[in-house]
Amino acid sequence: MTNDVEYGRYPVARLAVPEWMLKVERLGRVYGPYDDTVITSTGPEIGSSKSAVNGAVVAAWDVSFEVAAGEALGLVGESGSGKTTVLRCLAGDVAPSCGEARLRTTEGDVSMFDLDSSARRRLRIDTLAVVYQDPAEGLKMNISAGGNIAEPLTAAGWRNFGKIRDRASELLTRTEVPINRMDDLVRSFSGGMKQRVQIAKALANSPSVVLFDEPTTGLDASVAAGVLDLIRSLLEEHRIAAIVVSHDFSVIEMLTSRCLVMQHGRVVENALTDQLLEDPHHPYTQRLVAAARA
Amino acid sequence: MRREPVLDVRRLNKSFVLHAVSDRTVVAFADINFTLSAGEHVALAGMSGAGKSSLLKSIYRTYRPDSGEVWLQIHAGEYVDMCSLTDAEVAAIRGHEIGYVSQFLRSEPRRGALEIVARSARQRGMTDHDAREAAAAALHRVGIEERLWDVYASVLSGGEKQRVNLAAGTVHPPRLLLLDEPLSALDPENRERALTLIASLTHRGVAVVSIFHDLEAIQRLASRVLVLEKGRLVAERSPDELDERLTSAAR
Amino acid sequence: MLLDDLIDSAQSDELLDEFAKREIRRAILAAVAIPGYQVPFGSREMPVARGWGSGGLQITLAVVHDDDVVKVIDQGDDDGVNAVNLRRLVTTSTGADQTSIAAEASVIQSRHRIPEDGLDEESILVLQVPVPEPLRGVERDMRELARMHAEADYSRMWVSLYEDKVRNGVITQTTGYPCLVNDRYVVATTPIPRWDIPRLHESPFLTLFGAGREKRIYAIPPRTKVEPLTFEDVPFEVEHADGATCSLCKSNAAFLVSLPNSDVWMCSDTDWCRRTREASA
Repeated sequence: MTNDVEYGRYPVARLAVPEWMLKVERLGRVYGPYDDTVITSTGPEIGSSKSAVNGAVVAAWDVSFEVAAGEALGLVGESGSGKTTVLRCLAGDVAPSCGEARLRTTEGDVSMFDLDSSARRRLRIDTLAVVYQDPAEGLKMNISAGGNIAEPLTAAGWRNFGKIRDRASELLTRTEVPINRMDDLVRSFSGGMKQRVQIAKALANSPSVVLFDEPTTGLDASVAAGVLDLIRSLLEEHRIAAIVVSHDFSVIEMLTSRCLVMQHGRVVENALTDQLLEDPHHPYTQRLVAAARA
Repeated sequence: MRREPVLDVRRLNKSFVLHAVSDRTVVAFADINFTLSAGEHVALAGMSGAGKSSLLKSIYRTYRPDSGEVWLQIHAGEYVDMCSLTDAEVAAIRGHEIGYVSQFLRSEPRRGALEIVARSARQRGMTDHDAREAAAAALHRVGIEERLWDVYASVLSGGEKQRVNLAAGTVHPPRLLLLDEPLSALDPENRERALTLIASLTHRGVAVVSIFHDLEAIQRLASRVLVLEKGRLVAERSPDELDERLTSAAR
Repeated sequence: MLLDDLIDSAQSDELLDEFAKREIRRAILAAVAIPGYQVPFGSREMPVARGWGSGGLQITLAVVHDDDVVKVIDQGDDDGVNAVNLRRLVTTSTGADQTSIAAEASVIQSRHRIPEDGLDEESILVLQVPVPEPLRGVERDMRELARMHAEADYSRMWVSLYEDKVRNGVITQTTGYPCLVNDRYVVATTPIPRWDIPRLHESPFLTLFGAGREKRIYAIPPRTKVEPLTFEDVPFEVEHADGATCSLCKSNAAFLVSLPNSDVWMCSDTDWCRRTREASA
C-alpha cells in the first residue's frame, strides 16, 4: 500500500565508520614483461591470467581494499585466483609490480612498498604478522615451541630470559597449547598444534595487522573448527585488522565480515560476507557459493 | 498523530539473476512501499515464496536490492538510505540501529550463551560489566537457566539455541528489529515467554517487522499486517482480519 | 721507485711480500675502523697448514718490524710444538726478537688464550681463529649470514641461546663465546675460554683476529665495549673449579686447566706460573 504520510526528502545523517588500518590501492603483480595490451589480454572475461600476447602471468591486478582495526577481510577464490599473491605482496615475501599499501602506525602512515628491507623487517617484527598455511613456513621445526616464540621477542629487543618464557607461556596458554609441551620441538607436534604455535608466535609482539593464508587447510574438520574458533576470538580480543585468504567459504563465513572474490588475478566482487553467501551477483561467486553449499 | 517514521521503504525491488541457469531472472519482490513508526509492530504475511523473508533480508542488506530506498532513522530527525550505504557503513549500522533475529543461532560452537548475549550488548555500546548483567537478565527473560550460561552453545537444544538467539537480538534492542520466524522451535511455555518479551519491546518504542508462521503470535503482537503475494504487497490488514491461510507454514 | 721496491721484495726470502703485507694491513685497518666486522682478505699460502694458525701468522707478519719483540703461545704455553714453530718462522722472516714474558712483548700471537698479564697500550694481541663466523651454528647460507650481520639481526643467535638454556639449564658455550662488540657486531671470540672474555672489554690493547682458512680478519680496538651475549637475568660466568689450585705454583688466580683423567690442575699460562714461582721462592 502507499505511505500513510509523505515526508519528502529526509535529512541524511553522517555515519561514523572506523578508520582504516591498512589500505591497499591498485596492487598488481605480473610475472614477465607487460604493457596495457598484455594486461587486457588476461582476466576473468578472457578466462586466464596468462597472456596470449607474451606468456606473462598477471597474477594479480588492480586490487584495492581497506581493512579497519577489529575487522577481518576475506580474500576468496580458487587456486590461481591471485589471492595468495596479494597476501605475499603484503607480507613482503614477494615484490609487487605496482600499487600502494599504506599502514597506519602510531607514527603516522607508512607506505609499505617503499620501505627498504631493514625497515620492512622491522615492520614484520613490530606491526604485521603472517600465519602461513604450512606451519613449516612460519616456524622452525627443530626449535622448541617456546623458542619459536622467543624469536620475534628477541628480535624486538627482549633480553630477559624469565620474561621471554612468561610471555611465551602466556601466548601458548591462550592458543591452547599444553604448557608442558613448551620445550618440545615443534616438529613433534600435530598439524593443529603446529598452527596454534604459529598463531601464538604471530601474536608475540601484539601486531596490529595479521595475514592468514589458508589457516586451516589440511587440518581435520574438528581440529580446523577449534583453530578457527580460536582465531575468531583472538581477532575480537585484540582488535586486530586481519586478512584471511581461503578457498573455503566456511572459513570466510566464520571469520570475516567483508570479502573480496578473486578470479584470474582480478577482484570480481567485493561485498559483505553474508551478502556474498546469500546474494552473490557475479557468476563466478555464484559458482563458488553453490559449490560450497553442496 | 503524525510521527517521524523509523523505517520508510520506498519502491523497493529485488530479483536474482541465476547465471548457472542461463542467466534466468527470478523476482523476489517488486515495488514495495511501507512505513513503520517507533513502537509499531508490523507483521509480514503470505504464502511461502511470497517474498517475506527476502524483504526482511533486503532491509537488513543481506540481500542487495536492485532499486528503491530504505530510509532508516539513525538519530532524532536524521536518516540514512540503507540502499546507498557503503559496506563499511552497513556493517557499522548492523548490530546498532538495526537488528535481525533469524530462526538459527549463528555463533562459534564453543561460545557460552552468556558470552554470546553479552557480546551483542557490548557491540551496542554497553560496558563489559553492564553487558554481562544485561545478558543475565535477558537470558532469565527467555527462560535459560544459569547452569546453561557457560555451556558451549553447540550442545544446546534447538529450542534453547533459538531462545539464546532471541536474547542476543533483544538484550539492548536496536531502533529497528527484524524477526524472521524466531520462535519456530519453541514449546508452548517458552513461546509464551518469548511473545511477552517481544510485546514488551514495542512498549519500549522498538519498531518491529516480523514474520511468524502462527496466527496467534501475529494477533498478539502486531498492530498491522502487510500481505505479500508473489512478491507484491497486495493488502494491508489488521491482525484480526487475517485469514488462516496466509500464515501457512508450508515450505 | 715503488714498483722496483715491490718487485725486489717479491723476490726476497720473506714469507710475505710487500704486496701481501699491504693488503693485509689494509684489511686490518678496515677491521679496526669497524670493530667486530669480518673483513675478507686474500689469504696466502703459509708454511703452516690451514687450521694451524696461518691467519694469525699472516697478521703477525704484516704488523711486525725488526724492532718488535714477539711472544707466541699455544694454549698459554710458549713451549708447545706449534708455538715454537710459529715463533721461529716469525723471527727469521722479520728479524724481530722473541720473549716469553708478555710484558716485554710488543706483539703476542696466541692460540686459545690471552696471557694473564703484561698487556698494555703498546701491545698487539693476535688471536688464531678457526671459525670466524659466530652464526655458523644457526645459519648456513652465505647471503643470509651477510644480511643478518648487515641488519644486526641476531635473533636466531638469541633463540639458540634460549634453547641452550632451556635444554641444559645454563648456556653451555665454553670457548669461543659470542660477544657483541661496540654495540654493533656479534663476533666469535673463538676459541679463548670464558675466563678471558671479560678482559677484552675496554682493554688497553688492540686485539686482532685472523682466520686463514676462512679468509677473514676482524678486530677489537682498545677501549671498546665487548659484552658476552647473555640474557639480562642469566649472568655470564667464568670457569671455576672448586678448591682447585695449580699444583706447581699453588695459586688459583690464573686460569687453570686439568691434566686429562686426573685431579691435577695447572696454570694455563706457563710463563705466568714460572714468574709466580720465582717470586715466592
